[in-house]
Amino acid sequence: MTRLWSGGAVIEVWLNGTSAPERLRWEGRVHPVKMVANQWRVDLGWWRLRVWRDYYKLVTTTGLLLVVYHDLVSDQWYVQRVYD
Amino acid sequence: MCSVCMIEMNPYVELHTHSYFSLLDGASSPEDLINQAAALGMSALALTDHDAIYGAPRFVGAAREAGIQPILGAELTLHDGSHLTLLVQDERGWHNLCVLITAARHDAAKGSAALPEGLLGDYTAGLIALSGCRHGAISSALLTKNPVRALETAQHYVDLFGRERFWMELQHHLLPEDKRINDDLTRLAKRVGVDVVTTNNVHYATRDRQPLQDVLVCIRHSTTLDDTSQLRPNSEYYLKSGAELAPLFARTPEALRNTRRIAALCQFELRYGLQELPVFPTPDGMNADAYLRALCQKAIQDADFPSEVQAQFDHELQIIHASGLSNYFLIVWDIVRFARSNRILCQGRGSAANSLVAYLLGISPVNPLLHDLVFERFLSAERQVVPDIDIDFDAARREEVIQYIYGRYGLEHAAMACTFVTFRARSAIRDVGKALGLPPDLLDHVTTTLDVHKATQLNESSSLQDVLGTQVEMQTWRQVFDLCEQLDGFPRHLGIHNGGMVITGAPLSQRVPTEPATMENRFVTQWDKEALEDIGLVKIDILGLRMLSAVADAVEMVTRLTGKHLDLHALTFDDPLVYDLICAADTVGVFQVESRAQAQVLPRLLPRCFNDLIVSISLIRPGPVQGDMVHPYLRRRLGQEAIVYFHPLLEPALRETLGVILFQEQVIKVARDLAGFSAGQGELLRRALGAKHPGEAVERFRQAFLTGAAARGVDTATAEQVFDKLRAFGGYSFPKSHAAAFAVLVYHSAWLKCYHPAAFYTGLLNNQPMGFWSPAVIVNDVRRHGIPVFRVDVNHSQSRCIIEGDGIRLGFNYVRDFSIEAGERVVTARGSTPFTHLEDFCKRTRLPRRLVENLIAAGAMESWGRERRDLLWALGMLPETRTGLDLVIPSETVTLPALSQHEQSGMEMAMTGLTTGDHPMLIYRRTLQRRGILSSTDLNTSPAGKQVRVSGLLVVHQAPPTAKGYRFLTLEDEFGFINVIVRPKVYTRFRRTVREQPLLLVIGEIQHEGGVTNVVAVQLHSLSYFLTGLEGQRRIFRA
Repeated sequence: MTRLWSGGAVIEVWLNGTSAPERLRWEGRVHPVKMVANQWRVDLGWWRLRVWRDYYKLVTTTGLLLVVYHDLVSDQWYVQRVYD
Repeated sequence: MCSVCMIEMNPYVELHTHSYFSLLDGASSPEDLINQAAALGMSALALTDHDAIYGAPRFVGAAREAGIQPILGAELTLHDGSHLTLLVQDERGWHNLCVLITAARHDAAKGSAALPEGLLGDYTAGLIALSGCRHGAISSALLTKNPVRALETAQHYVDLFGRERFWMELQHHLLPEDKRINDDLTRLAKRVGVDVVTTNNVHYATRDRQPLQDVLVCIRHSTTLDDTSQLRPNSEYYLKSGAELAPLFARTPEALRNTRRIAALCQFELRYGLQELPVFPTPDGMNADAYLRALCQKAIQDADFPSEVQAQFDHELQIIHASGLSNYFLIVWDIVRFARSNRILCQGRGSAANSLVAYLLGISPVNPLLHDLVFERFLSAERQVVPDIDIDFDAARREEVIQYIYGRYGLEHAAMACTFVTFRARSAIRDVGKALGLPPDLLDHVTTTLDVHKATQLNESSSLQDVLGTQVEMQTWRQVFDLCEQLDGFPRHLGIHNGGMVITGAPLSQRVPTEPATMENRFVTQWDKEALEDIGLVKIDILGLRMLSAVADAVEMVTRLTGKHLDLHALTFDDPLVYDLICAADTVGVFQVESRAQAQVLPRLLPRCFNDLIVSISLIRPGPVQGDMVHPYLRRRLGQEAIVYFHPLLEPALRETLGVILFQEQVIKVARDLAGFSAGQGELLRRALGAKHPGEAVERFRQAFLTGAAARGVDTATAEQVFDKLRAFGGYSFPKSHAAAFAVLVYHSAWLKCYHPAAFYTGLLNNQPMGFWSPAVIVNDVRRHGIPVFRVDVNHSQSRCIIEGDGIRLGFNYVRDFSIEAGERVVTARGSTPFTHLEDFCKRTRLPRRLVENLIAAGAMESWGRERRDLLWALGMLPETRTGLDLVIPSETVTLPALSQHEQSGMEMAMTGLTTGDHPMLIYRRTLQRRGILSSTDLNTSPAGKQVRVSGLLVVHQAPPTAKGYRFLTLEDEFGFINVIVRPKVYTRFRRTVREQPLLLVIGEIQHEGGVTNVVAVQLHSLSYFLTGLEGQRRIFRA
């Protein structure tokens, strides 16, 4: 089952030299990133509340497949979805 | 880093850019895009608007100024709706692009495009094709995971363009599928043997324009931001540098470099200069020069001109021949000849009236030699542009002239210039507000009361404060205002220029694309008047002038009534009674001199000859007003101040206007006499002064002017003073030639008003809207001249207004919702048997119920002696069938109270826009007299400085931009007009009353100046509040 956080859950992310996630801490554990499966950017909703985010679909060496995003307005990282 | 180094280091130039000429899609002007490209150090930039080259001249101009190579092209929509990016390599490519755009536009609905299938292959020479955005046939096949179709399409394009001129276009906007699609495209490119190239499908210069682009998309799709699914998912469609794009194309770095390879292949430069005109067929193997000479020579002989005409004639012909324009003159002459032979009134306007040749050919109504007009203002050896010739035609018959031109030269060779209808405050608020989801009723209210025109002035608007109150600070409204400010001046959609026609020898589509306008069978060029002028394409203005229609109608009526043909051109401009009428400012309806401002000047100017008329219409123009010429001129004319010249050298140029600058031509003369400019240079200076963005060009002229003046011994201070005067004067003035042509029509219309007023007024009423005053004011003027006006009557009216006995009978054209056809239907049904009752009328005319109701409300059935309410009731009892109102059925009779006179007038006003009954002020007159409130006639005898109360119907409210916040109101009562001046502070206090109340009571001070009476307002109130005795108002009046 996929777990979804519609508002996003704050996570800690370490970046590599190209500003892509290298490791992340989630539920108290550090997960090194094995592969960025996809990435994309959204910039929507400016007339109400701007949603400007870089999304990453990641595979970790710990076996997680998850979607995280970097909120470019607040400069915070969030996890949005963890695939089962 | 210097810009040269930046260009050297930047391997990337953008080849796929939409400006705001991708209508309701691109969110930056061509100039903004160029400026941003320059800031990024790009050496070239391509403009690829959707199926259009609207912005090409401006783009090229801006690029040259910035030192950037402009590449022209377009994103073409193909038959299946897919897009293809095309870039122009050379002249042939430009022709082909124009042909393709024209073809794509012609078979599609207005504003859209679809190139007919199979056509592309014939027109690929000189064009480079890039495979396009996500809407490109190849990318969309890959997006839908159809690699076979993608391959077939790629191969097809390679076949059409060849491997050297077809490139696979890679775009990366950080969307989820971009990487996969680019990988697929790269593989496909290898497979078909072509190279890849990066573009960014730019829709705005900088990221911060994304909101505006979203709003434009909503406007285009008539939807709101919340409801649409058409928005781009992010803000990555801005002009990016190579450095910013490089990480996204790390695996295909050549795609970035290839942009400069393509730029190097595009060496096309937009061709400037006169189009190849059709060759006018001349008789007996004569060439155009000889034929033109022969035509003019014959006119000279026929009219028995004085001998000095020959010298000027030879001079003009020499320049016309040298400029290769004889053929052009013959084409224009032929158009005028067609109009005259079909009794369509016409006359040239503008600078053509400087030309004796134009006069001899019957194009212009003014002999330039009689009015000291300068030919070089029209055409000169120095100025290598072809002058536009503007001709006014009877507006009602202009279409016949246009059809003649299409018929003579063919649809492929003639088209009207387009205009761009641009966003201004009102349209911007309406559209942006709608996109942001604001309620339509509120937007209607805001826009109808709005007191500013430019969307950049919304922050200064007081009406917005009034309507919105504290809401103006809400986030949504702040967003609306910000976006509107950005949107100001953006083109919204295309219109047809009011007369500019381009005619070419070779098909027009080789030079500029054309596209359909809203009007059936009407095509417009993709360049507007300014762009055509920039490029050098000459157009002939076939303008419709309603005053000519009114005059033509009046002449026809007079001819019919008197049995003698009335030839206005036989008049000699010296009838004292005509000038008496003008001096008395009895000019409602008279061409050009009817406005309030003119009426204020006429009693001081007291025109007594044709030249005075020229001065009069030239005086009330922004140039003379801003240049502070009006009052000095009037004072000097009245002998109240001495005639002085800025410098003795200027006396010859300015003697005729008593030392002030009134006419455009005088700019040339002043530059010539004070600074030694040639006539051609002077004309260039005049153009620079009148340009939208004078800036640097004027500064260059200033230096030349000061140097030239110094060489003639003029001290610097004087030279600077004169140049500043010229600058203040700007270009906003009439050329004397234009004023002279218009003065002919001033005289003709005044003459008609003087000698045939009923015909004159009837002509005016049948050709509304025109001029300064509304029909309601004209009708009151008619009655003040002792001519009765009869209301619309089903048994007497025609479809248009007519002369009936000593008076004027309003036509069905004055009844709300009545077309000329509906009016004709009543007239035909009536024949020679009057309608006897409502049922009879309905049965015979079969008019829709709504129109019958309007007739009843307008009082058009009063002659049967039945009350309007009764008739409306009876109409309601008539059964309605699909074909209209059927036979009478018996019904119970009811007794309804009759309408009061006041109510009847109100209904008539609502239905016809005017009232033939008493003036509304007459109803109040006795009460007003009792309370000491003066009428318009009482004012003239009241001493200056006296505080008075006056009241009237507000008919005109003016706030000219030159008046520094002062407002000018014109009130009307049953005797005439009352001029009210409102100071800015007073207006602020009483703004709401002025904007919302039709009947005003003004407390103010009398001012008499030069035969004109004004009331300078201190307080303004609603007359109804005063008369209904509201307590608050009473208190004010006691004060």
